[in-house]
Amino acid sequence: MTPREVVATALLVFGVGVELACCLGVLVMRGVYDKLHYTSPATTIGAVAIAAAVVLRESVVTYGLKAMLVALALLITNPVMSHAIARAARIRRHGAWTAQEKDAEDETVEVEVDRR
Amino acid sequence: MVVWFTLGHGRHVGGRERSDALVNEWLVAALALLAGLVPCGVVCLRGEPTERLVGLSMAGTIDALVLLLLAVGYRRGIYLDLALALALLTFAGGLVFARFLERWG
Repeated sequence: MTPREVVATALLVFGVGVELACCLGVLVMRGVYDKLHYTSPATTIGAVAIAAAVVLRESVVTYGLKAMLVALALLITNPVMSHAIARAARIRRHGAWTAQEKDAEDETVEVEVDRR
Repeated sequence: MVVWFTLGHGRHVGGRERSDALVNEWLVAALALLAGLVPCGVVCLRGEPTERLVGLSMAGTIDALVLLLLAVGYRRGIYLDLALALALLTFAGGLVFARFLERWG
C-alpha cells in the first residue's frame, strides 16, 4: 500500500465513523434543537472526508470531481436546512414572532392567533 | 475484512482496471453507512414532527453518501449523478417539509 492509499483509507474510515456517530447522536439526543446539532458534522467533516478519500484513491476526472460536487452540495445545503428546521420548530412552539415593521403585518400574525 | 481490503487493492493491474474483486473498501464503507440509516429511521418514527424531520434530513445525507460510495465501488462513474441529484432533492424536499410544519402540520 502506498502512503496515498493509507491516507485515503484512513479518511474513509474516519468519515464513515463520523457519519455513524452523528446518526447515533441524532437518535440519542432529546429535543429538536439538540438533534439538529448532529446533522452538521455529518455534512461537513464526514462528507468532506469521504469525498477526499475518493479523490485521493480514484481517478479525479471520473470520480473525484463528482464526489467533490456531492460533498459541496451537502456542505452548502445543510446549514440552510438546519435553519429552516430550527425556525419551523421555534414557530411551532412559540408562534411566529411579530415583525417590527408596520407594513409587514402579513399572515404571520394570523398564525400566532391560530396557535392560541 | 482484511481479505476484502487486499482484494480491493488489486484492481490496477497492467494499466487496466480489474473489477473481479467482489467487495472492495468502498462497498464495505457503503454497507457500514447503511447501518446508520437504522437510527435515522427510529428518529423518524417517534417524537415531534420537527424531530422526525431532522431524522429524515440526516437519512438523506447518509443516502447521498451511500450512493456515492456505491457508484465508486461498482466502478460506474455515471451513477454519481444519482448521489448529486439525491443530495439536492433532499434539500428541496426538506425545505418544503419545514415550511409545511411551520404553517400547518
